[in-house]
Amino acid sequence: MALLIMHSYNKSHSSPPRGGNPFQNLEKTSVLQEARTFNETPVNAKKCIHILTKILYLLNQGEVLGTREATECFFAMTKLFQSKDTVLRRMVYLGIKELSTIAEDVIIVTSSLTKDMTGREDFYRAPAIRALCSITDPTMLQAVERYMKQCIVDRNSAVSSAALVSSLHLSSQHGAGDVVKRWANEAQEALNSDNIMVQYHALGLLNHIRRNDRLAVGKLVTKLIGQNMKSPYAVCHLIRIGSKIIEEDYANGTNTISDTQFLEFVDSCLRHKSEMVIYEAAHAIVNLKRTSARELAPAVSILQLFCGSSKATLRFAAVRTMNKVAIMYPAAVAAFNMDLEGLIADSNRSVATLAITTLLKTGTESSVERLMKQIATFVAEISDEFKVVVVQAIRTLCTKFPRKHSILMNFLSAMLREEGGLDYKTSIVDTIITIIEENLDAKESGLSHLCEFIEDCEHTSLAVRILHLLGKEGPFSKHPSKYIRFVYNRVILENATVRAAAVSALAQFGASCPDLLQNVTVLLSRCQMDIDDEVRDRATYYLAILNSNNPSLCKNYISSNDQMVSLTLLEKTLKDHLHGPLNETFNLALVPKTAPTPAIAEETHNDPMITTNSVPKAPRVTREEVNVERLLQIPGIQRLGPLHKSSPAVQLTESETEYTVSVIKHCFPQHIVLQFDCVNTLSDQLLENVKVDLLLPEGYIIRHVIPCAKLVYGEKESTYVILEFPADVSSSSATFGATLKFVVKDCDPTTGLPDSEEGYDDEYMLEDFEITVADQIQKTKVNNFAVAWDAADTEEWVELEETYSLSAVNTLQEAVQTIIKFLNLGPANATEKVAEGTHTHTLLCSGVFRGGAEVLLRAKLVLADGVTMQLTVRSTDQDVAEIVSSAIG
Amino acid sequence: MVFGKMFMKILNKDRRNKQISILIIGLNNSGKSTIINYFKNKDDRKFVSVPTIGFNVEHFENQGISFTAFDYSGQGRYRNLWEHHFKTCNGIVFVIDSSDRMRLVVVKDELELLLQHRDIKRRRVPILFFANKMDCIDALSSVKIAAGLNLEKIDNKPWQICSSNALTGEGLQNGVQWLTAQIRECQQTKELPHE
Ligand SMILES: Nc1nc2c(ncn2[C@@H]2O[C@H](COP(=O)(O)OP(=O)(O)O)[C@@H](O)[C@H]2O)c(=O)[nH]1
Ligand SMILES: [Mg+2]
Repeated sequence: MALLIMHSYNKSHSSPPRGGNPFQNLEKTSVLQEARTFNETPVNAKKCIHILTKILYLLNQGEVLGTREATECFFAMTKLFQSKDTVLRRMVYLGIKELSTIAEDVIIVTSSLTKDMTGREDFYRAPAIRALCSITDPTMLQAVERYMKQCIVDRNSAVSSAALVSSLHLSSQHGAGDVVKRWANEAQEALNSDNIMVQYHALGLLNHIRRNDRLAVGKLVTKLIGQNMKSPYAVCHLIRIGSKIIEEDYANGTNTISDTQFLEFVDSCLRHKSEMVIYEAAHAIVNLKRTSARELAPAVSILQLFCGSSKATLRFAAVRTMNKVAIMYPAAVAAFNMDLEGLIADSNRSVATLAITTLLKTGTESSVERLMKQIATFVAEISDEFKVVVVQAIRTLCTKFPRKHSILMNFLSAMLREEGGLDYKTSIVDTIITIIEENLDAKESGLSHLCEFIEDCEHTSLAVRILHLLGKEGPFSKHPSKYIRFVYNRVILENATVRAAAVSALAQFGASCPDLLQNVTVLLSRCQMDIDDEVRDRATYYLAILNSNNPSLCKNYISSNDQMVSLTLLEKTLKDHLHGPLNETFNLALVPKTAPTPAIAEETHNDPMITTNSVPKAPRVTREEVNVERLLQIPGIQRLGPLHKSSPAVQLTESETEYTVSVIKHCFPQHIVLQFDCVNTLSDQLLENVKVDLLLPEGYIIRHVIPCAKLVYGEKESTYVILEFPADVSSSSATFGATLKFVVKDCDPTTGLPDSEEGYDDEYMLEDFEITVADQIQKTKVNNFAVAWDAADTEEWVELEETYSLSAVNTLQEAVQTIIKFLNLGPANATEKVAEGTHTHTLLCSGVFRGGAEVLLRAKLVLADGVTMQLTVRSTDQDVAEIVSSAIG
Repeated sequence: MVFGKMFMKILNKDRRNKQISILIIGLNNSGKSTIINYFKNKDDRKFVSVPTIGFNVEHFENQGISFTAFDYSGQGRYRNLWEHHFKTCNGIVFVIDSSDRMRLVVVKDELELLLQHRDIKRRRVPILFFANKMDCIDALSSVKIAAGLNLEKIDNKPWQICSSNALTGEGLQNGVQWLTAQIRECQQTKELPHE
């Protein structure tokens, strides 16, 4: 694109510009006015190229076009297809791509683009494919399918690559995935290409198509490992796919022969002739959770070697990789220290930052001050992204050297005062909060720093979080009164969201500090005059409770907020309740708790996809929240009560069979809904009245079966079975036999229409599946496990204790993983990670059983010959305690 | 100097008259793409015809004039998109499948919409109707189609209807000759002061 702009630029100006950007003062309306030139015949190519450049420039500067403006501009642009100027045509493709998401009726250029992508002009073909995919929606995909398949296997590598990458983009569009799947044969052919990019892109697409079919991906990798692929890019990608499988197997506690094969392959790549591949292999090895010290050593030596490279990219890659695993392998990184010290003053600031922060993570207490000083000299020069790296290092340091908190806290608060984006500020605040939570001595100073920060904080989300924290921690500090002023200032100065949060925080002080109650009541009554409804409502609500003089009301409705329920599900449950007979009181305990958000991930794990790297952050929704929407379509489902938990999908067929079926188990208080997702992979068959016949274990009762009326080739449809759990909780964990039953009608593969109305009954054996204890438990996250554990030492709780010897596992980490997996409990206090080289470990975790019984679990593990475990379960229900403790045995 | 400038201008004007942009519309399957294909050079012709999605731009030469034709898809979903090219075309070719009696009412509706469109209503733009597929046994005659579509009501635009067979080319050349002549005339009248 830069080239094209240059080109048009030179053509349209005879003299060079006298400095500056010729597009600097462009104005949207006048440029759009100029775009009317596109309607003139004959087309003035030179002029139009220049105008298109301006439009693209504006769009790339973030200028926003309205639907009408964009549509008008788009249709004017379509007239330019009459010109035979090649540069103009390629600019038009770019224009189409930019406007495709804003303008209406963009499919109008479909035929024009398919003509170009299959035509004689090679210049047009690849960019036309990319433009075509940007305007194609799933309903139109059938029409271009033939061309796409042809282009994927085209001899011209640019065309083939463009088609492969575009298919990949298309397949992530909702509803297009199934069509793109049908192009797997072509992608397979492209995989044999001599061109390194085509090979890479073909692998990317194939893997993406099969990504939900683990067996198929495994087969693909095994096959390619033996083939010695020419493209280093493809080999790198293969390493990533292989690593992902190894990692998943490890997390599931399975270890297959192919894992060993993949590992050998990754290891052999350390001796590859391409640096890129060598790095990728080393990176994979140090990141794999199952890597042993013996496997680690050669990978670390490679990285060490790269640290001394003259290429900044290699130094950067190596030190960045070490930085991420420094905590896991302190000993391995320690061997690196000399090399890292050498990089502290690297002319590349990013390399220097990473080197210093790695040293910080692994170094001794005495080196902290020296290194922090070093960072301070250039922290202003590095980008936000690297500042975040620094902040993360500080966080680890604080945990490791609690005594250093004042130096570190000062450093953080200085950073907080500097300019910076939301992500950066969030990471600082997160860190300060972590420090406060972990280190009592740091609490007062941390809170003061945060108070100061919210006096001048432009980010609503951060202000709200800090206010919440002040409300939680402030009342129990040495001088609660000093925080009131900061909080009340927010009520006067900020927007409604922040004001509402401040009101809630004030109420906390009122509920927990009797001395301050009087003051707080006065302040809250002022808030009742607020112009915002929410602020007024909260003030009124809290005042009413505070004025009631009833400590238990205050405790339950102001101070304690551990019981966070999922708001989406709460809303749904309340709605259901209102639609119901209303002869029972609403039971809050039946609403699922929010699934614990995973501890702040250090870094999202490498997703081996080739799509863009700036994936927009999706809002976090739990599996249950997604499923509720779907399940609501089942008539009568409300009667089952709120959804407690949905399991991940379990395959009930091998891959590449005639029909593929997987099951998702949706657990309700007394029932379980089995959702069978079926795909018919035979293009010459239409299936009707598809359902799953179950071989029931004792105690289970079938309440309802919802067949799938029609299963067309290639489409995923669902059939459901609703079961009632056995009255006796202990028999709820059981195995089911399953058979798929249906009526087959032979049909014409091209039209999908049945040859005749007559069909015949047929059935297909599925694999057995289980309903486990884990299916019936929803994880919870307990912030302070010790407190919860002690509180569970009352009459209402049952405790069971037993000792087991775990013969099938060899390490403590494996034991921990097995327990968490079998019970689906949420670990607390980071006890899911076993420190390296220890022989004892205590795992603490918690969850809620269907129906609302809470479960707390403590597992004391000892590693001698094999692992011995003392398991203590506390639950509010005897049966639940029993089934949980027997699930492991 | 003055003379030289004059001379240039005449040349330019002459060139412009040799470039004509036409719009080909009509219901789907009426034979639009086949008609264009007939006008193209023998080696540029396509042998398989697939339904058009949106539109295609085609170039061809006829009577020494170079034509740019916007061949639009006639499927319901795209018909509302024709209007985007109403403003800029020099002439319209409206293709009718004479054997498709069922959909003649649909043709009538679409024609009505075209004639009432703000970019066409007051413009003197020639319209050529091809009563195509005249070779089909149940084809209506051009006279019957003209009557059925009330063509005689069109009073502010030159129009003509020709029977045609796009597969053999019968009738097509006559039609295009008429259209070219009309476009020339319209352009000349436009250049007269105070039209
Ligand atoms: N018998 C006959 N068939 C025709 C004639 N013109 C076109 N066709 C056929 O009608 C079908 C549709 O033609 P096409 O040009 O794609 O129609 P469009 O949708 O208007 O572009 C094709 O199968 C042509 O071969 C004609 O004059 N006579
Ligand atoms: Mg057509």
